This record gives sequence, structure tokens and C-alpha cells, in this order.
Amino acid sequence: MSAALLDHYQTLAATAPKAHAYQAVGQRRLSLVELPNRKQEAWRYTPLAPVLDYQFAAASREDGLLEPEDVAALRVTPADHVCIVLLNGFFMPELSSLPAQTGLEVLDLEQALQTSATGIERLGRLSGECLHLFGAVNAALTGAGVYLRVTEKLVQPLELIHINYSFDSEVLSNPRVLVQVEAQASLTLIEQHAPFADVLGMHNGVTEIFLSEGAELLHPRLQNDSLRTRHLSSLYVQQAASSVYKNTSLALGSAWSRTEFHLDFSGGHAHCELNGFYLAGEQQMQSMHLDVLHSVPDCSSRESFKGILYGQGKAVFDGNILVKKDAQKTDARLSNDNLLLSRDAEIDTKPRLEIYADDVQCSHGTTVGQIDPEMLFYLRARGIPKAAATSMICQGFAAELIAHYEYPALETKALSILQERLAPVAANL
Amino acid sequence: MLSIKDLHASINGKEILKGLSLEMGAGEVHAIMGPNGSGKSTLSKVLAGREEYEVTSGTVTYKGENLLDMSPEERAHQGIFMAFQYPVELPGVNNTYFMQASLNAIRKARGEPELNSLNFMKLVRTKLKALEMNEALLKRSVNTGFSGGEMKRNEILQMILLEPSLAILDETDSGLDIDALKMVSMGVNSLRSPERSMLVITHYQRLLDYIQPDYVHVLSGGRIIRSGDKSLALELEEKGYGWLQEEAAA
Repeated sequence: MSAALLDHYQTLAATAPKAHAYQAVGQRRLSLVELPNRKQEAWRYTPLAPVLDYQFAAASREDGLLEPEDVAALRVTPADHVCIVLLNGFFMPELSSLPAQTGLEVLDLEQALQTSATGIERLGRLSGECLHLFGAVNAALTGAGVYLRVTEKLVQPLELIHINYSFDSEVLSNPRVLVQVEAQASLTLIEQHAPFADVLGMHNGVTEIFLSEGAELLHPRLQNDSLRTRHLSSLYVQQAASSVYKNTSLALGSAWSRTEFHLDFSGGHAHCELNGFYLAGEQQMQSMHLDVLHSVPDCSSRESFKGILYGQGKAVFDGNILVKKDAQKTDARLSNDNLLLSRDAEIDTKPRLEIYADDVQCSHGTTVGQIDPEMLFYLRARGIPKAAATSMICQGFAAELIAHYEYPALETKALSILQERLAPVAANL
Repeated sequence: MLSIKDLHASINGKEILKGLSLEMGAGEVHAIMGPNGSGKSTLSKVLAGREEYEVTSGTVTYKGENLLDMSPEERAHQGIFMAFQYPVELPGVNNTYFMQASLNAIRKARGEPELNSLNFMKLVRTKLKALEMNEALLKRSVNTGFSGGEMKRNEILQMILLEPSLAILDETDSGLDIDALKMVSMGVNSLRSPERSMLVITHYQRLLDYIQPDYVHVLSGGRIIRSGDKSLALELEEKGYGWLQEEAAA
């Protein structure tokens, strides 16, 4: 089976249109790579059948499938803001809102590659030799996606909506998002993965973010894919001196989801904040993987992840922070807190700090708990029925994290999805 | 209003209440005093419906119905309110949202129309003013990071909003400075009415300077060993609990 699957992806790679030299890196990797398996540390607790039991076919651009009104219903930003729609990974100008904005370039990735847009040569520099099969597939199929370059401090947030929707089953979306925030420039990038149809497919996205000196990127993300979607997001971030990156990622949807954060500092006094929340219910697996590398001195990072699990939901938290010998004065705090609502739910949590410098402030902590009976009694004593009280405690647990979005319309949307998912669960506890 | 007969209750197999009886009429304020470990908090928790406490025998009748059959939320719907000795922090749950949910759950259970946010805010503001409470507390998470005084004020605010028929104050005075104590007492006194009964549980006589009880009971070893009027509280203040416990033992 494994040989057939590798053959399948190698054939996809060989027949893909060639747009960029980086595709060769992916193709080469595909001929060497092993299938992800549970003997590998990075996949140790991750069930793999949901993604390895299928031979996903590469998506192609489909025009006329959706109308702008379909997108309007999903948006959280006002209509006059820039909103980019990627349909099955492909940039769709007719579904996007692209008002001209000084200090911002938005290009279809294919077009950026063809015209050798400024900075596009960075593509692949962070994802490099590709960590695994799906990274290699993404690289080998490079073409779909979007390139963003920011040269000023932008006040208006930019919205990026991924929609996976096709009449075919087992389609693989394969976007690459490349973001370049130039020195002293700043951007809020609101990213949504929105459900559209309950089709079994896979999202295999790679995002590379380059923050130049003093640049700032706020990056709230909401993954609410349909419950049959397989979702893999690999995020690579490189931060130059004094830059700030703040990512808040919610994983609520999809049957199988993995979010990888690969973060690297290249200059001092940079700060990064990664916040994550996952909700895993029946037939769901959510996983969060962090690789934060402190290789230069004087940088700080905060990693705060929370999850709620119910039914037979499963989640994996694998948080690694590596502080290299020269990274003195590093300040890193990692936490992972989990709320389990059922006996059958499972969390595998593995926070890890590896420190080779001697003058650092680092900490990590993990909790796994259930609904606090004191809290439940307090709410019930105030007349709130047990189910509503349970739901309220869960909402509160998540709300603390969701507040990091710093964008009320997205917070409201996330909380209402959560409420809708948790209310029936709480009623049956 | 409330009739407790020969109540025995235990937690983790350990009997705490050992035959407690108490009759409370409408409009009456009863104080329960007693040394640490006498069962004061157990009594309040049993009345509010904390499930960890097991009632092994005896009856509790509230407004003619068997209270012990009701869930905690049903008791609240029927007009019972307990101000917690240790209010619980609810991180991420907005205080205003919580109070509105609470009031509306009770109104709904009684077949009354729920209040929308606007009308609820109007109501809360009028009550806040009376308590001289900082409105900023409404925007925070319930009790999270509140000082002891702020928590107790928050309890009293909920009590005033919910207008219970039977209010149980579980050592609401503990850890309060004199200003907070006066404020809490003022809130309690503003609710005194011929239809409303109050059970004030306290370790110290101090609170009873501000909330004048009609009856004072001394709880010791899980039973009421002496009842009297408010002069009993003064006597306790002077002599301590020892003489009563010795009498009860004899």
C-alpha cells in the first residue's frame, strides 16, 4: 500500500505544470521520503489512516463554482477591506475584494512566479527540504496560492479565506501562501478555513512568513473546515530583529487536522506569541505541533495552547522549544491546558524545552482536567441548568484564548461555532 | 417558609449534621452561629443542593415542598439563594453575561419574560449604585482576580438582582473590612420584607450589629444547642461558645 501511495504522489509531481525551480526539491524529496508513521517522533501519537488510506487527486482551478455572495456570508471584515479567496488552493480574483491599498501588494502566486515579483525568490527558503510527504507534495505542486508583500504599516486588516469545495471527492488542495512584511511595516492577516460542503478532501497548505526588522504581523486564524476534511497547515515564520509575530489559531473543524508551527528568530529583541485552541469531538483528531527555535539572544516567545475534548475526540499537542547555546537572555513560556468532557476522549501532550544556553528564563506546564464541580455548582445554584452551566464553563475556558484574536467579529464567530458544537454535548453529559 | 426536621448529613461517610431542626417563618431573619467545624457551612451547602453532601435522614420542607428532591437549579428557581463563603472564579465567563443568564434562567423557569441585554443593564446599574460597586467589575470574568470584598459585593449584587424568597448568607462577613461589611449589610437590609426570610450564618457577632436577627441559634456538633433572640449573640460575644457546649454535653 505504501509503495502505491508514494507512486501516486510521485506521478502527481511528475505531471504537474512546472512554474518554479522549488518544485524539483519537492519532487526529489518524494523519491526519498518515507510515509509518515508512528515510529517517527513528529507523528508518534497521530493516527494516519485518515490521510494515508486515500490517494488524493490534485485540485484544479474551477471558475464559476461560487458566487461573491457565497463569500460575503463567510467574511468577518467589512466589505471595503481586502479579502482574498483561495478556492481549493487557487487564488480567485472574481471572488476576492481587492481594493488598491498603498503599501500592499497582492499577487496570485503563479503570476508572482511568472513575473519574478520582488521577494518571490524567498519561496521555499523556510520550508526548505520539506519535512514530510505532504510538505514534499506541496513543494512539488507549487503554483496555487497567493503572495503578499507589505511595505507600510497597514491599519485595515486583510482577510484570507480558504474554501475547499468540489463536486469531486478526495481532492487535494495545495496552496502556498507567501507573506513578506518589510522593515517597520505591519499587517493584521485574518485567515479562515471555511466549511462549504461536506466532501471528503484534503487541505495541504504551506505558509511562509518573513518578517523584516521591526515588522509586525498579527495573525488570527480560524480552521472550521467541514467535518470530513483532512487538514494540514504548515506554517513557517522567520523573524528578524525587533519584529513581532502574534498567531492565534483555532482548530474546530475537520476530521483530521494538524497545524505545524515552525518558528525561527534571525535577530535579537524579537517577540513571538503563539496561541492555539482545539476542539475535538466524535470522529475528530486535532493536533498542534510547535517547533520554536531560539538560536539568537534576547528574543522572547509565549506559547499558550488549550483544548476541549469530548466523545471519542482525540488531540495531540507536541510543543518543542529549542534554545541554542548562543541564545542567551531567551524568555520562553509554554503552556498546554486541556478540558476533557468524556472518559473516551484522549489527549497526548508533550511539551518539551531543550535548553543549551545558561542565562535564560524558560518554563512549561501542562494540565489535563475535567469540569470543575465547584464551578458547576456555583452556576447551578444561580439557577442555570446543568447543561447550560457546563457549556458556559467550556466557553469561558476557550474565551480566554479566543480573546487573543483581538478582532471582535472573529471572536464572536468562533464563540458561536463553539456554542453550537458544545450545547448538545453538554446536554448529554 | 423553611422547616428542617432532625436533619442528618454526611460527606465522604463522615456525619456532620446530627439531628438539626429549625423552623423559619416568612419575613424572619435567623442567625446561625457556632464554632469552626460545627456544621455551619454544611448546613448552607445542603440547603443549596451541593450533591457531595449526603442526607442520611430527616426532612427539609420549603414552602410546603420537599426541598431535598430538588436540583440546585430548581431550588434557585423556587427562590433560594446562597451567598457563597468562597465565591467561585469563572475564568473567561463575563460577569454581566453570567448574571443575565442567571436572572433569565430563573425568570424562564417561572414563566416570566426574559430580559434583553439593554433592560438587564438598566436594572444592574440601579442596583450597583445602591451597593456603591464599581461598574468595571461587570466587564471582568466572574470573581476572577477579585479582592475578597469585591467577591462578597458581587454575591450581594446577585442576591439583590435575583430577589430570593430565602437568602442564605454563608459567612458573608468573613474576611471583610468594616466598610465592606456595612455595604454588604446595607444590601441585605434593603431586601428585608415580610415575604422574604434570611438565614445568616456567621462566626462572629459583628455582622449582627448591622443585620439585626429575629432569632439566634447556636450550632455545635451538628445540632442546634441553643436558640434565643439577638441578646444570645451578645452573650456569646462575651462568653464564647465554651459554656454552651459544656451545658449541651451535660
